[in-house]
Amino acid sequence: MSVPSAPESFGPSPAERPPIHGGRAPHDPAPPVFAVDGLWKVFGPKSHQVPADPGLAALAPAELRARTGCTAAVREVSFSVRKGEVFVVMGLSGSGKSTLVRCLTRLVEPTAGAIAIDGENVRAMDRARLRELRRHRAAMVFQHFGLLPHRSVLDNVAYGLEIQGVPRSRRRARAAEVVAKVGLDGMEQRRPGQLSGGQQQRVGLARALAVDPEVLLFDEPFSALDPLIRRDMQEEVVRLHREEGRTMVFITHDLSEALRLGDRIALMRDGRIVQLGTPEEIVGSPADDYVRDFVRDVPREQVLTVRSAMRPPDADETGRGPSVAPGATVSEAIEAVARTGFPVRVMEDGRCLGVVDHERLLEVIAGNGHPAHTRREVA
Amino acid sequence: MAAATAQAPVAGTLAPLRATGRRRAAAKLLALAVLAAVLVPLAEAHWPGGAWPGALTVDLSGPLGRASDWIIDNRDSHPLFLYFFGYVSNAIVVGVRAVYLVLLAAGWAGVTAAAGLVAWRLAGLRLALTAAAAFLVCGLLGMWVPTMQTLALMVVAVLASVLVGGLLGLAAGLSERTHRVLRPVLDTMQVLPAFAYLLPVVLVFGIGVPAAVLATVVYAAPPMARLTALGLRDADQGVMEAVASLGATARQRLFTARLPLALGELMLGVNQAIMMALSMAVIASVIGAGGLGDRVYQALASVDVGAALAAGIPIVLLAVVLDRTTGAAGERLGAGRDVPRGPLRGWAGWLLVAVLTVAAALAARLAGRLDWPGSWEVDIAEPVNRAVDWMTGHLYTGVPYVGGTADWAGHFTTWVLDPVRSGLQWLPWWAVLLIVAALSWLIGTWRTALTAVLAMAAIGVLGVWKPSLDTLSQVLAAVAVTLVLGFAAGVAAARSTRLERWFRPVLDVLQTMPQFVYLIPVVALFGVGRAPAVAAAVVYALPAVVRITTQGVRTVDAAALEAARSLGATGGQQLRQVQLPLARPALLLAVNQGVVLVLAVVIIGGLVGGGALGYDVVFGLAQGDLATGLVAGAAIVCLGLMLDRVTQPTERRAGKGA
Repeated sequence: MSVPSAPESFGPSPAERPPIHGGRAPHDPAPPVFAVDGLWKVFGPKSHQVPADPGLAALAPAELRARTGCTAAVREVSFSVRKGEVFVVMGLSGSGKSTLVRCLTRLVEPTAGAIAIDGENVRAMDRARLRELRRHRAAMVFQHFGLLPHRSVLDNVAYGLEIQGVPRSRRRARAAEVVAKVGLDGMEQRRPGQLSGGQQQRVGLARALAVDPEVLLFDEPFSALDPLIRRDMQEEVVRLHREEGRTMVFITHDLSEALRLGDRIALMRDGRIVQLGTPEEIVGSPADDYVRDFVRDVPREQVLTVRSAMRPPDADETGRGPSVAPGATVSEAIEAVARTGFPVRVMEDGRCLGVVDHERLLEVIAGNGHPAHTRREVA
Repeated sequence: MAAATAQAPVAGTLAPLRATGRRRAAAKLLALAVLAAVLVPLAEAHWPGGAWPGALTVDLSGPLGRASDWIIDNRDSHPLFLYFFGYVSNAIVVGVRAVYLVLLAAGWAGVTAAAGLVAWRLAGLRLALTAAAAFLVCGLLGMWVPTMQTLALMVVAVLASVLVGGLLGLAAGLSERTHRVLRPVLDTMQVLPAFAYLLPVVLVFGIGVPAAVLATVVYAAPPMARLTALGLRDADQGVMEAVASLGATARQRLFTARLPLALGELMLGVNQAIMMALSMAVIASVIGAGGLGDRVYQALASVDVGAALAAGIPIVLLAVVLDRTTGAAGERLGAGRDVPRGPLRGWAGWLLVAVLTVAAALAARLAGRLDWPGSWEVDIAEPVNRAVDWMTGHLYTGVPYVGGTADWAGHFTTWVLDPVRSGLQWLPWWAVLLIVAALSWLIGTWRTALTAVLAMAAIGVLGVWKPSLDTLSQVLAAVAVTLVLGFAAGVAAARSTRLERWFRPVLDVLQTMPQFVYLIPVVALFGVGRAPAVAAAVVYALPAVVRITTQGVRTVDAAALEAARSLGATGGQQLRQVQLPLARPALLLAVNQGVVLVLAVVIIGGLVGGGALGYDVVFGLAQGDLATGLVAGAAIVCLGLMLDRVTQPTERRAGKGA
């Protein structure tokens, strides 16, 4: 697991996030873009029998392979992606996350379950309708770029529009626009082979953006890149998301990447989702030992917010001391406490929700606080 | 299964694998021994004697002769010929004639200019100069007209091969089922000697240009089909997925992604088709192709080395120019790079090529020099023949200490070829089958073993056991010499970069030369007979063996080699214990290639006194006795099949699923 080298950028602070992230508040869910319910993908002979048979469906992967010769890459996965959010699917290699994202546009045909995009059943689509989905509604960025080596950067970016039948001059104009947006000005006439890995992935990103899709799907887009370039590209994605507010489904095996980009994270293991929640929920209250082990090295103070660390204020505490927003990270609160020597007040709309003192802060860092629990107390 | 023994990825795992391999080999041999113990006494009781039993042969000369007579009688009346073969034949004749007339109309100036400009457009200035110079040399040698005849035939044959091969490859590349059906057929066609293709086409079309073109197409289309299929199937899966994810239709996926991605392979296929076509177009002089090959053939028939060389040089030049030009074009397309900057870019470049060519042709025509001027010809035949005469006088025999070339040939025949041949013919027929079975089973699978044994048995059934064993003896001798020389040179080149640098251009040229050309120098050196045929086969097969060996030893896992070095292994230990064992697949492939290539030339050696099967084919063609020729041709096919399967490493089958 990679440990972040520059802690302060661990997850954009909520203040930076665009307002559309109001979707995080549980009482105001935007309509789901993708709704996935009970999805299965099984590879192997007679694969459709596995999800249907509860006996087989419950087997562990190794046992299933021994019994049926099948491999279940995705097992009974359900989630929904809300409009405008960055939904991250995270897991180690072989956990089924890449298969899962391919099922969304049926690049891999699901074995069982339901997928809907904006309420429309994806699995029932005919060839033409599916093509329509891939052309206009969901575009994908791949780990190994998948660029056409015999075309220039510009023609690669324009490729999606070309197969839609957009006239040459119009698609080139649009492509030039997107090429500029991803910061590749001046490289329009190069071939992919003449670009660095990071630049190639910018082309891949531009190609997906050029068709103006409703959802961007990323399949481990930065895993093949050097760490520094990966950081650049992540910032690029954050920037694009802030500017356009496009819905994104992001697959990664890199925890720090997931925490930095994700509004919500689905953590996968052996084809199942073991926990689904905000970065704070994943780090703050791991669902099981696997997840706990997974997030053990994460600097918690950079992910957890004061909202989850605060306690009800004493009467004399509401009037003094530094104040922060409830979405501020614990590390910001530490800084404020250290600077002033007073507990920090968590203020929202001029009201004091609670306070965070040094005891609370140390509990968070030590990892023996129960933030979810605390929050319920406060609420 | 057995693939595991051959692949052996890490040096550390070699020992246990070798042990299991040895156990498996012992089991196979035991099974064969049991089988033999049951069958051999039975066979011996029924058909005693060493040679293939007469009771087990089927005399095909009667039915084949009748079939050939029937075809000759009905060629002008039967609807099959009138409405199918007739059209094919006419189309070919008209096509070749048309191209020939265009070439003549362009004149030497036009053709030379076109060759230079096209090479420039495709491969840059240096090749342009080479191409133009090559055509001028063809003219200088007085071979302009034959060169144009060969070129005309080539153009038609290559176009047809590329079309047919491309379509077959497209089908195999897009459909798994077609691929499964086509692949073994193409694999087998690839290993058959060119001579085997001549007789069936002659049977249908008679001797002449149509037969020559068709034989060439049949010979040249398989590599195109194989490489097309390979290119299409090997398209980068990531790219294909990305294209699909953007909603491309099947047709869009093919035309905007799969085909462009395969462009490098397609060009390599065209390159291969051209080289095979040239090789065959020259050999097809035996069935009336005319042109350069015919000149060589006639000259060799009268042992006129000078005239053969005068016609052989243009063949080599054509081969080198065509190979380098198409190779360079393919490399550039495959790499997805841009056309080099210059005046000949894009479609305007092609237009410029056309305009300049026409201008050159018109200029020559207006100057009254359309045909190659006779006064510009240089006769090299006479001086060459004088040199050969001198060699015959001084080097053939009686050179102190080293002996003469003819002495060497004689000794080789007496001390190697004759004993091997009589040894093979002395072996009981069932023993030959057993040896074939054992070898092919040990190296390959029971499937390859079965094919090999059946092919060998078919030779006996055809009634050409003895001449086939004669050919086999020449092949074995030539392969032995080739492997000794080839492995030595290959290992040496792999260990010395300087040596490899010297070898490379030589190997490049040798590998592009058509088989037929190799007969010229060996006849000059050794006269006619079996030894020269073997010598030609060795020279022809050597480059491939050296190259595969070098590459195999060179590309051995660097980490394993480094590990051995870090443990203090000497150079010899590294070679014996790491490089050679790990290069085993490459070495086996070298053996396989060596055998296939040697057979092809040993058969052609029938033209220079090699005798045996090759001679039967030539004799059948010359005497119009197609039955004899066809039987010999079938035996060649069987022999080729047997030799390929006996030496076929398992790897080639292992990639089936891919």
